[in-house]
Amino acid sequence: MREVSYFAPTEVGEAVKLLAQHGEKAAVLAGGTDLVAQLNYYEIKPSALVYLGGLDLDYVREEGGKLVIGAGTTIAHLLTDDLIAQKFSVLAEAAATHGSPAIRTKATIGGNLGTASPAGDMIPALMVMDADLVLASSKGQRTVPIQEFFTGPGETVRTAEELILEIHVPLLKGKAVFKKLGRRKAQVCSIVSTAVRLEMDGGVCKDARIVLGSMAPTPLRCSKAEAMLKGKAVDAALVAECAAQAVAESTPIDDQRATAWYRAKAGTALVARALAEVAGI
Amino acid sequence: MKQILSFILNGSPVDVIVTPTETLLDVLREKLGVTGPKRGCDDGDCGTCTVLLDGEPVRSCLTIALTVAGREVLTVEGLSTDGDLHPLQKAFHEHGAFQCGFCTPGMLMSAKALLDHNPTPSRTEIREYMSGNLCRCGSYEEIIEAIQVVAAGEYAPSGGKE
Repeated sequence: MREVSYFAPTEVGEAVKLLAQHGEKAAVLAGGTDLVAQLNYYEIKPSALVYLGGLDLDYVREEGGKLVIGAGTTIAHLLTDDLIAQKFSVLAEAAATHGSPAIRTKATIGGNLGTASPAGDMIPALMVMDADLVLASSKGQRTVPIQEFFTGPGETVRTAEELILEIHVPLLKGKAVFKKLGRRKAQVCSIVSTAVRLEMDGGVCKDARIVLGSMAPTPLRCSKAEAMLKGKAVDAALVAECAAQAVAESTPIDDQRATAWYRAKAGTALVARALAEVAGI
Repeated sequence: MKQILSFILNGSPVDVIVTPTETLLDVLREKLGVTGPKRGCDDGDCGTCTVLLDGEPVRSCLTIALTVAGREVLTVEGLSTDGDLHPLQKAFHEHGAFQCGFCTPGMLMSAKALLDHNPTPSRTEIREYMSGNLCRCGSYEEIIEAIQVVAAGEYAPSGGKE
């Protein structure tokens, strides 16, 4: 039987020291809703578990015009947090689609980022707000724009010695929505998801973000589609054209949840609906 | 690396020797003989292993046992008091809210968490809250009905709502 060590640090300094010691052989345990399933099925065989539950990283605060979200904030907390509801409601919308109540009580926002699934429910909403991720290691901290964080399915620029500490969310203007399509409404991975944010001045779009989930190896920002909207009056024809462009930028695959063909059709409809909703048409 | 885990199980303190990769479900079923929580999928999808951790529903199959140190765990075994079934248990029984019964321990714990948070849920709220608990026999309608009658106070002991 393999020997696994368990550590439950109570300070960030202690946690990053453990990660520096154990490197690739350590598994970082937060809510465990992804990690423990992988352990149960022997998909990973770490020699150490570093549990972050004792670090008190479950918080949402407003600081210097930004929201600061602790990486250990549970999805259930995001759903009931007043600051999130008032200033970043698109994140609460995404939280409501995530798993089911008994998953949301444990799953954390940092875990959703660290798992780095192309289907990660919380990621598109963070991407439309240009969030920054603060990573900590025994050498110090660094800030990575979310746009540069993901490098492939399950892969990020986070090294084995780093932990995700906080998410900094600038309170960008405009209206944002999140939409998710799955086989049912709860307890599913998305077939396709999207978050969009439009800043409108009268009927004219000043700034736009369009992000697709489950449509590429990483959550995908559709910059050509965004560029189509800037400075334009947004009408139904432009929305349809822009949704088609967004999906054209993606590279959906066939998998057990849906075919690439279906994802492209459904994704186009989902982006069009999201854009029409935020543009008020 | 074996360690001693101490926590409160159904109101009583327990100490048990565990390994770091054992889940709360492993420890409950295989070391403490608490077999109410069932092993369905071991993946968090089915809900039959649901227990309450400090009053909140969690998947015991996705909970590393050592993370519950010092905390309170409630399983279906802890629902009844002095041999008296909990109102939800009575309602599930009398309304036929199961056939095979495999999902019932998880259903009851989720339903208790729902009513603790929201004593008068709408039908939609019940369906949403119970969405992570699967019933292969398809007793969903009876399960919703049982929760509704408890919310209406029908099985409340000594008149008041539980």
